[in-house]
Amino acid sequence: MEVRNIALLGHKDHGKSTLIGSLLMQTGAATKVRVMEAEAYSKKLHRPFEPAFILDSFSEERARGMTYDTTRAEIKYRSAALALIDVPGHEELIKNMISGASYGELALLLVSAMSGEGIMAQTKRHVFIAKMLGMESIVVAVNKMDTVNYGEEVFQRIKSQMTAFLKAIGYKEANIAFVPISAYRTENLVARSTLMDWYHGSSLLETAYGMLSRARKPAGGQLRLLMQGRIETGSGALSSGRIIQGNMHVGQVLRSTMGRGRHPVSEIFVKGTRVKTAIAGENVAIRFGDGLRLPRGAVLYGANESLRARRRMLTLIFATRRIGQQARIRFIGNEYKARFKILDIIDPTTGKTLRNGTLAPLRAADAEMEVDAPIPVGKPAELSRFTIYSGKEFSGIGIVNG
Amino acid sequence: MIPQDLKILEEKSIYLLREAKLRFNNVAALWSMGKDSTTMLALARKAFLGKVPFPVIHIDNSIDFPETYRFRDELAKKWKLDLIVGESEINPDLVGSACCGKNKPETLKKLMATYGFDALVVSIRRDEHGIRAKERYMSPRDKNFRWNYKNQPAELWDDYSSKLDVRGHIRVHPLLDWNEIDVWNYIKQEKIPVNPLYFSRNGYRYRSLGCTHCTIPLKSDARGVNDIIRELETTKDEERSGRSMDKEREYVMSKLRALGYM
Repeated sequence: MEVRNIALLGHKDHGKSTLIGSLLMQTGAATKVRVMEAEAYSKKLHRPFEPAFILDSFSEERARGMTYDTTRAEIKYRSAALALIDVPGHEELIKNMISGASYGELALLLVSAMSGEGIMAQTKRHVFIAKMLGMESIVVAVNKMDTVNYGEEVFQRIKSQMTAFLKAIGYKEANIAFVPISAYRTENLVARSTLMDWYHGSSLLETAYGMLSRARKPAGGQLRLLMQGRIETGSGALSSGRIIQGNMHVGQVLRSTMGRGRHPVSEIFVKGTRVKTAIAGENVAIRFGDGLRLPRGAVLYGANESLRARRRMLTLIFATRRIGQQARIRFIGNEYKARFKILDIIDPTTGKTLRNGTLAPLRAADAEMEVDAPIPVGKPAELSRFTIYSGKEFSGIGIVNG
Repeated sequence: MIPQDLKILEEKSIYLLREAKLRFNNVAALWSMGKDSTTMLALARKAFLGKVPFPVIHIDNSIDFPETYRFRDELAKKWKLDLIVGESEINPDLVGSACCGKNKPETLKKLMATYGFDALVVSIRRDEHGIRAKERYMSPRDKNFRWNYKNQPAELWDDYSSKLDVRGHIRVHPLLDWNEIDVWNYIKQEKIPVNPLYFSRNGYRYRSLGCTHCTIPLKSDARGVNDIIRELETTKDEERSGRSMDKEREYVMSKLRALGYM
């Protein structure tokens, strides 16, 4: 069964882990022991049953009622397996949020309807990051509807404010949906709620499922083979790589973005077996007719096609730590020195440009990036994104815009 | 229990195993002779074309099942495994996690130091336990095997950024995405040899294998891989419910993990 990944986003305490816990129980995906254990622990802490404990398993997470790190759990819905990715909502844990959310195909944003909660800075920051991570569709679950007597007013207010923000950072209206829910009371999660007759849309899962069915990844295109390195195998030393687009066959002549020459493919192995052709998604081990040793980070493509590599590009970067002019980036498994020239500092919570700002943590920037060797940026997504390191520390993420 | 697309799982595991071999100088794998670590070895044989390119470690407290020892020796010979057996003691007065939790990690620590391994392939899966579900694909441990789960490295876009603390090691988890039923579906598809204790004898079978002191069989008539898959499709019981270690409180597990065992 194909697994589709949904990243849960939103401010701390707006109900991400609780929602996943409730969905696991409602769809029968949680094992007896996991539920009993969460029940027992809730009692131990003198609290009513907390579905979030099915996910949050560290004693510290439970005692403090917060998620430290990302995790995921799967449920079955219609013909799909949906992997629900939980992330921490706290600002200081944004590195863990990015790690988890990077696997998401669809964003499921929680906004609490409870008085005093609502749309927070972190709500918007998560959406900004989701867009950078390539999630083009978003379902906004307006949660804790039980605390406002399932009334329509708060829902509509959040919907109109959130729609304006989502459009400002580039979401298309057709790719946005709003669903009122109570994760804790399990209202409108799997089945339509009977407590909100003013709401005419589908349940949360049905809405998410519908949006995922539309958000298909494009397949096909010219060959893009990412070189991983040289491995010693039962059939001698071979070049290992992963096809991210297109396909390849024995006898084909390839060119590399690192180095010159035309390289005929003499043998291909997939999953340990010699094959004639290989397709996108497969890890290949290759023997080249010219005995070529290809470096990690090289991209191979058909010799009759062209793939330009360059050193300067326009990027959008998000900082989890301060990023200075000089940094290092990792691009398809290889490391480069990079120099950034900041054009605009952006506040991810408004999408607006800040005057005279610095690239402090939790801010974004449009920047010119120059790397110390040419890199083949472009499509698919793997070739348009990079991680940023300052010293030894992970400091942010970037995407290539032009 | 949700079966996933085996092709996708397999490719990711192959990628991670190759990545481990490429990035670290001295890789080893833990092999308990259970279904998961044996499946991992089958995947390594695919990734490296018939060869398991790293030593496999069995931490042996001498009270494993006779079937387990037999299975180990036969498969080690058949797959030409570079088997390292680390002898661990047992404490007769300790039971469950206290027993495994104390001695096995100590033996492993000594062994890692003797051989200088900087990466250890461990076949844990996210669906086994909520704490395992918080692991990264590549997860650092310090020299005392402690897991700093409050500050794990970022991991995204196939950038497994774990830095190597020279005194510690990296745990590599190629099976993290797999569910229990996926492992069995894969065993069926690939005809991977498994320990006979998983199959029903006189109405009982083992669903999860530890040593003779902490493993309890469950009632089952599943005599073959197909029966097991059918059984798993409907069960609501926890995989490790036959392991006395897991009957203990959640924080014991949390401490065990932090110590680096499991």
